[in-house]
Amino acid sequence: MTVRRQDNGAITLDGVCGVEDAEPLLQMLLATPEAPLDWTRCEHLHTAVVQVVLAAGPELVGQCGDPWVGQWITPTQR
Amino acid sequence: MNPLHEQFVAEARELIDQATDDLIALERDGFSAERIDRIFRAFHTLKGSAGLVELPAMSLTLHAAEDLMAAVRAGRQQPGAGVISRALECLDQVSQWVDAFDADGVLPPSAGDEARAMTEKLRSHLPPDGEHAPLTSPGSELPEWASRLIETKREAILQRIGERPEANFAISYEPHAGCFFDGEDPLQLLRQIPHFVAVYVELRDDGGPLSELDPFECRLRLLAIAGGDRDELSAIFRLVPDQVRIIDIRALAVKAEEPDDAALIQGVVEEQRQMLRVAISGEDFVGRIGAAARVVANAVRHGRREDLADLITRAGAAAIAQRNATLLLTAIGETLDALTPGRRTDDGHGGPAAGGAPTQDPEARANRWLRVDQSRVDALVNLAGELVVLRNSFAHLARRIESEFGDQDLSRAVKGEQDAIDRLADDMHAAILQLRMVPIGQAFRPLPRLTRDLSRRLHKKVELVTRGETTPTDKAVVDRLLEPLIHLVRNALDHGVETPAERRAAGKAETAILTLEASRLGDRIVVEVRDDGRGIDPAAIGRKAGERGLLASDALAALSDDQMLELIFFTGLSTATQITDVSGRGVGMDVVRTSVDQIGGRVSLTTRAGVGTTVRLDVPVNIATSRIMVIECAGQTFGIPMDAVAETVRVTSDRIRQIKNNEGFVLRDRVVPICSLAELMNLPGQRAPASDARLVIVIHAGGNATAVEIDAIRDRLDVVLKPMQGLLSNAPGYAGTALLGDGAVLLVLDVKSILS
Repeated sequence: MTVRRQDNGAITLDGVCGVEDAEPLLQMLLATPEAPLDWTRCEHLHTAVVQVVLAAGPELVGQCGDPWVGQWITPTQR
Repeated sequence: MNPLHEQFVAEARELIDQATDDLIALERDGFSAERIDRIFRAFHTLKGSAGLVELPAMSLTLHAAEDLMAAVRAGRQQPGAGVISRALECLDQVSQWVDAFDADGVLPPSAGDEARAMTEKLRSHLPPDGEHAPLTSPGSELPEWASRLIETKREAILQRIGERPEANFAISYEPHAGCFFDGEDPLQLLRQIPHFVAVYVELRDDGGPLSELDPFECRLRLLAIAGGDRDELSAIFRLVPDQVRIIDIRALAVKAEEPDDAALIQGVVEEQRQMLRVAISGEDFVGRIGAAARVVANAVRHGRREDLADLITRAGAAAIAQRNATLLLTAIGETLDALTPGRRTDDGHGGPAAGGAPTQDPEARANRWLRVDQSRVDALVNLAGELVVLRNSFAHLARRIESEFGDQDLSRAVKGEQDAIDRLADDMHAAILQLRMVPIGQAFRPLPRLTRDLSRRLHKKVELVTRGETTPTDKAVVDRLLEPLIHLVRNALDHGVETPAERRAAGKAETAILTLEASRLGDRIVVEVRDDGRGIDPAAIGRKAGERGLLASDALAALSDDQMLELIFFTGLSTATQITDVSGRGVGMDVVRTSVDQIGGRVSLTTRAGVGTTVRLDVPVNIATSRIMVIECAGQTFGIPMDAVAETVRVTSDRIRQIKNNEGFVLRDRVVPICSLAELMNLPGQRAPASDARLVIVIHAGGNATAVEIDAIRDRLDVVLKPMQGLLSNAPGYAGTALLGDGAVLLVLDVKSILS
């Protein structure tokens, strides 16, 4: 599973996150809008995942593991 | 200002005029390849000339306009109203710059910003080049998203432009909502763009609760600015052309303004060619040949054409040795041919490189014209006029020989010579006047543009029809008709023509017809400005005049409809109930009358309610010589311009009635007051004894006829009327002076101003 809920409530993205990860990520963010999102260990983000991140605007932890997204896309928190 | 600059200013103005005419015609008459070609060439030549006199802001702007016209010419862009408006705006801007350059020798400091703004506007109409490229929406401004993106990322763009001076593009990519289901990953496409400057990813419909977000529906808009070349970008987005728009924003970057190397090189070469053609003499001529050869060689070398560089270098050396630029010009011509496949040997500037070969290019024909400063022609006209006057003295001389010396033979001989001189002087005078004759259409020039812009602003539909444009007219007359015509067209559009809805309601065609017609009647030109609008209500004019206090109400009540209409020419009267920025500031018709009066013309107006209004300007074909009547009054001799005189009447004393303090008589059912010229001018001396018949000349001024009493009429003459000069230049009541055959100076009266 590339989208996971940590014990402390934070959400993490791991490895290559495909289009199928968008739905669970959205559900988690809907359930706990305050939960921080750790995306340091993801390697590649699909557009659908980026869209959820942009739309939800969660608190982001660290630099994005996907270097391209990290360099060019800076989501603003909602 | 040096001759090169003067030539530039004159040429630029001509080209701007020509391109404006062609653009308006293009919009009116539809697409014509020949016309587009002419417009393109005008922009192209303007751009080249601007480069030659080193006005980079102007070059930059015109380059964009030229690109736009090239796209229209190639059929990649429709010449819609948006494009034409933009091109006209560009010409306006350039025209302002040319004026500034003419006045100050430099462009205003704001020119850089203006150029960038105009360039962006023009470029926003440019479709991407290449057949396979995705389309930008034609005819739009720089899209909102692009400006926003540029604004948001300005820092990043400016910073990166230093590193990447090549072309920059703004990209908008709006993936289909269902693209995720098709296995697409839109960001993946962006990741392939090699030279990124900035990216901005946003949700198309910002907001909306997160709970309603469908994670499988793509709602993103991806905006980016990137370098690289367009082909590369087009290749990346080749599968989603309908979702992508790529816009060239290189104009932002000063360094990137000339991305097209080939065009740049050609431009440089062309400039040197023009420079060489202008510099055909002078000490530094040889130096210029050398410099031009070096510049051209470097330019073509930059384009990796060593062969051409060698050719130029050899030709340059030979030209320096021969002190003759022809060899180099020929080589430059060949170079340009080689750089542009399919190019004609000479583009018709007719310089030495043309080798005297006949060419069909219109520019070459134009070269047979001689451009002469108008003041020089004016000087010739005056001299010829003097000659005409001087020959009158021969008649005087012949009479003296006969009367004082009784020598009939000599007198006859002098008269014979006089006839010959007469003929020659007349011919010469006519020929020289002919020099100043231009088609009256020159005075119509700004009117199509004015009509187009105004009718749009006023939301009216108007078609301008011009007739008789080719009627030859003295340039001096044409110049002075310009302002009155502008006023009249403005008035017609603003006050005369109704809105399409009003016209429909009145059972008229929605599109109003505004006709400008010039025709020649003997030695006069009649210009009619005719609209088929609502007409003018004389009563409304009268009411306005009453409100403005121009006339007392009892005086108004006595006026006929025609006389009421006449009030429209009074200062301070405007019938528009609301002051618009178009007309209606109470200036206009009085200005028209004043301007036309000054050149010895007359204005008249006819109108019919609901049918339209016609204003008729009746002006002399030329204003060099005026026909005057020489009169005598209280022992002095004066001239009175014939065109002021309606008629001369001998009034027997039994017809004269005493009306209060004034005398008057009835002329064709109208009472005409009689004033004595001697009294009007406070001339000393006794009045001529009241004889049976008194001589009056009837003058129409401001719609009223007045009889001015004089003692005698001496002669009728053609004279060159010179304005009063020096201390007398402001003396009221005088139209000017004229030199008579016997050397006497005749004062010519401005009777109308004396009467008012």
